[in-house]
Amino acid sequence: MADHNSFHFLGKKTIRKDGLAKVLGAEKYASDLSIPGMLYARVLKSPFPRARVKSIDVSKSEGMGAVVITFIEMPRIRFCPRLVSTPEATYKDWRVLSGNPLYVGEPIAAVASESEEDAQRALEAIEVDFEVLEPYMNALDSLKGGEGLLHENVVFNEKEIQVENNIACRLEITEGDVQKGFSESDVVIEREFRTNRRYHNQLENKSVLVSPEVDGGVSLWSTSQTIHNTRLLLHEIFGIPVSKIRVHKAALGGSFGSSIQTNTIVPIAVALALKARRPIKLSYTREEDMRDHSSYQMIFRMKLGAKKDGKLQAGELNMIMDIGAHQVQAYPLLGCVVGWWVSLYKLPNLRYVGKAVYTNKVPSCALRGYGNPQTTWATESMMDELAEALGMDPLDLRLKNYIGKGDLFWGQGPTVKSIINSCGVEEILRRGAELIGWENRPKPFAQRGRFRRGIGLGRGYHTSSAGSPIPGTVIDYTGAILKVNEDGTLDYITAMMDQGGGTLDAHAKIISEEIGVPVDNVNVVVADTQTTVYDVNTHASRGVYAGGGVALMVARQVKAKILEFAGRALEAYPHALKIRPDEELGQAVIYAEGLTSKQITLGELASMARVKNWGTIAAVESLRPGSCPPHFTGYFIEVEVDTETGKVKPLKVVAGADIGTVINPDLAAGQIHGGFAMGWSMAILEDTPYSESGDLLNQGMMTDYKTPTTLDLPKLDDFKVFFVETYEPSGPFGAKGIGEGALNPVAGAVANAIYNALGIRFYVLPMTPNMILKALKDRERIK
Amino acid sequence: MKVELTINRRKGIFEVEPNELLINLLREKIRLTGTKYGCGIGMCGACTVLLDGEPVLACLTLAVDADGGEVETIEGVAREGKLDDLQEAFLEEGAVQCGYCTPGFIMTAKALLNENPSPSEDEIRGYLKGNYCRCTGYVNIIKAVQRAAEKRKRIGKQEI
Ligand code: FES
Ligand code: FES
Repeated sequence: MADHNSFHFLGKKTIRKDGLAKVLGAEKYASDLSIPGMLYARVLKSPFPRARVKSIDVSKSEGMGAVVITFIEMPRIRFCPRLVSTPEATYKDWRVLSGNPLYVGEPIAAVASESEEDAQRALEAIEVDFEVLEPYMNALDSLKGGEGLLHENVVFNEKEIQVENNIACRLEITEGDVQKGFSESDVVIEREFRTNRRYHNQLENKSVLVSPEVDGGVSLWSTSQTIHNTRLLLHEIFGIPVSKIRVHKAALGGSFGSSIQTNTIVPIAVALALKARRPIKLSYTREEDMRDHSSYQMIFRMKLGAKKDGKLQAGELNMIMDIGAHQVQAYPLLGCVVGWWVSLYKLPNLRYVGKAVYTNKVPSCALRGYGNPQTTWATESMMDELAEALGMDPLDLRLKNYIGKGDLFWGQGPTVKSIINSCGVEEILRRGAELIGWENRPKPFAQRGRFRRGIGLGRGYHTSSAGSPIPGTVIDYTGAILKVNEDGTLDYITAMMDQGGGTLDAHAKIISEEIGVPVDNVNVVVADTQTTVYDVNTHASRGVYAGGGVALMVARQVKAKILEFAGRALEAYPHALKIRPDEELGQAVIYAEGLTSKQITLGELASMARVKNWGTIAAVESLRPGSCPPHFTGYFIEVEVDTETGKVKPLKVVAGADIGTVINPDLAAGQIHGGFAMGWSMAILEDTPYSESGDLLNQGMMTDYKTPTTLDLPKLDDFKVFFVETYEPSGPFGAKGIGEGALNPVAGAVANAIYNALGIRFYVLPMTPNMILKALKDRERIK
Repeated sequence: MKVELTINRRKGIFEVEPNELLINLLREKIRLTGTKYGCGIGMCGACTVLLDGEPVLACLTLAVDADGGEVETIEGVAREGKLDDLQEAFLEEGAVQCGYCTPGFIMTAKALLNENPSPSEDEIRGYLKGNYCRCTGYVNIIKAVQRAAEKRKRIGKQEI
C-alpha cells in the first residue's frame, strides 16, 4: 500500500479548474450558447398519453415563415438513444418524431423561427387530428394487456422481434437450489416493495445548439454525458459520416444519468438544422424537461432465508419495473438489479426474475445509481426485518453476510464479474456505529409522546466503472491524450465530462502526481469528438477510476519521454533523473540528485526539443478496466418523527465511505453531502404521480416536485463524513469512484430509522406524512 | 418600449417588449448568461440578481419594472479583476459542483451579507431557502457563506 502522506497532490485540497469560470458566471453551458443567425426551435408534443395522429397540417405555420418538420418526413429508422451496451443487448423502439405518441410529452413535430416567441406562435398554428387511445398507467395493467400492445414489435440486433404482453425485455437467473436453501433456513421472510418514480431535477434543462456545416456535416453542443455516443447515434439516424459530426463538450448543469442517452431534443434539432440550413437552438422549459425523463419505478417481491446464526441461505427476487413508453436500454438494467442485489450479501442459492414493462408514462432512464438505490432500499429494509426475526443486532447480521475482499462480485450484472480486492466495509460500520451511538439507539415500540427518535443503518456500494476481465455486453473503455507544451505546461485531452464531481480535476492531479508537475500546469482542454479518443460515457461512477486510470497511463509514457529527452539535454542517464514540481519556478524541474549543474525545467526541455527537432513529448492511450471495484458506503441516520403531523426530520447523519485513495477530499465529501440529500428526498419527498388524464399530476411544475431546501437538511455539525483507508490495486494510485455509492444506501437507512422510531415498517416510497399518519392511526385502531 | 438600466455599473438604454422578462433581456439580448434559467416560476433561485441592492428573481421581474434601476448580475460581482470574498469562499470550500446554481447563490448570499454581516447558520439557511441546488446538499455552500462573512469581519471590510 502506498504511503498516503508521500503524495504531493493527491488527497490535498485544490481549487477546481472550472471553478473560476463558474463563480464568475462565465462558464458556458449548452443552454448559454448562441451562434449568429441561429433560429429558435420549439417542439410540438403529444397532449395524450396514447394516441395516433390521423392528420397533421403545418401549412399555417409554414405560412408564418417557420421551418417545420413532422414525424412523416423523419428517417424511418428506429433507434435506442443510449449506446452503452453491445447490439445484442439493445432494443430499439424510438423515432425522432412519432405519429403514435405513447406519453404526454412525446415529440410529434417541431418548428424553428427567428425568435422563441415566433416559434411558439408557429407551433400553436399546427393543426393535428388525434385518435385518442386508452393508455396503460401502471405496469400491472400493461401486463394484462387488455388494451393491446404499445409496441407491436421492436428492433433487436438488426431484426424485428414481436413484443409479448407489453414486456420490453426480461431476465431470469438461478444459482444453486433455492427450494433447498429456504427449506434449510430457520427464518424466512417475504415482502413486497414499491418505489417512487423520481425525476432528476438537474438544474439545467435539456438543451442543444446545432450548426449545419458546408460539408454536409453538423457541429453541436448539448447537455450530454457522452460526446462520442451522441456522434454515433446521429450517424446511425441521419447517415452523416461520423467524421463530419463534430460534437463539442459543454459544461453540464447537473445530469445524474439523464444524459447518458442522447437527449430527445438532439436529433430533433439536427433534423431542423439540416432542413433549415441554419443553426438551431432548442432548450426545454422545466415543464417540458419534467416530461422528458424519469427514474425507473420498481415493484420488488423479495424473499430471504437464514439460519439461526444469521447466515443467509437463499434469496428470491421478483422485480417488475415500469419503464415508461420507450426503452433507454432497460435490458442491462435487468442485469444490474440482480447484480446490485446479489453483490450486497452472500446468497448461496438464488433466483431472480426481472421484467421491464412498457406503460404510457415518461420514459425511464438511469438516475444516479441505476436501480441500485431502489434495490438497496428493499434489501436493507429486509436485512433489518430479518435481524429482528432472528433476534440479532442488524449490524452483526450485515457483518456476517456482506460481500467483501476476496469475494466474487457482479455489481454491473451477470456478464460483469470480478473479485473484490479492496474493502473497508467493516471499518465503515464499526466507526459509524461508534460515532452515531448505535449501542444506545432507542428500542422500537418503547417511545411515547409526540416526537419520536430513531436511528437506522443502511449500507451499500456501487461499482467504479463497468469494467470486467472479459468483454460482456457492456461497453466500457476510455482514452486520453497528453502533450507537453513549449512552456512546460501540459494539455490533457479527454472526452470525459465533469458532472460537477471534480472528475477532471482528479485526472489532472493524477497526472501531476505521476510526472511531478504542478497541478496548475495541467490544462484540461475543452475538446470535441474530432480531437479526442473514444470514451463511452461519464457514468457508472467511472470518472476517477477508469478516466483516472488512462490519465495515469499517458502520464507514465510522457514521463518516460521527458526523462529520455532530459537525458540528452543534461548528458545524463534517463533512469537516474528525477522530476520535482518546483513551487518557485512554477514548473517541473528535471534533475540529477546532488548535481546542481544537471537540471532543466520542463519548459526549457520542451523548447530545446523544438529547436533541436526532437519532436513533441506526447502520448495517446485507451483503457478497458479489467474490473469494476465496488466503492463501499454506510449511513447511520437519526430521525425525529412528529406523530401529529407525520413529518420526518433528519437530526444527525454519519456517513462512512471506502473510495480507495482519496484524491479530492472536499469534492469527495461533496458527493456524499449531495448523495445524502438526494437519498433523503427519495425516501421522504419525491414522486411523479400521474393524473386521470395520464399527464403528470404536477404538470411539470417545480412547485410540486419536492426536493430538499437548505431548511430540510441537518445542521453542519450534525453531518459527519469519514473516509476509511483502503487501496484499490487496480485503480490509479489506489483510487475508486464515489458518485453513486454516495446515494445508494440512504433510503434504506432512513426507512430503518423510521422503523426504529415508530415500530412501523413502510414498503412504499416516498414515506410521506400522510402515509405515516395513516399507519399510526391504523395501529391505534388495531390496539 | 425603452428602459434605462444600469447593469453592472454601466448605463444603457434598451428596447424591450412590455411583457419582456428581465431574465430574457439579460440572457438573450445582452448575452449575460451567468444569470441562469432553472424553472421560470420563481422556485429555484437560479436567476437571482440584485436590483437596487435587493435580491430579485429575474424570471418573475418585468424588464420595464426595473426601469431606472441598478441591476447587478454575477458578471458584475468581481471588481477590477479581483474576486469577491464570496466567490473566493465558494472556490475554497468546494461549494461549486456543476455550478449551475452558483451565480444565484452568490447573488442571494451577497444580499444576505449586506443586510447581516455575521449571520448564524440558521439565518444563512433561512435566507438561502429559495435557492435550489441538486448537487451539494448545501453543506459546502453554507460553509462558504460563513467563510466569506468571517473573512470580511477579519479584515474589517464593509459592504461594497
Ligand atoms: S428561473 Fe427564476 S426562480 Fe427558477
Ligand atoms: S452545484 Fe449543481 S445545482 Fe448546485
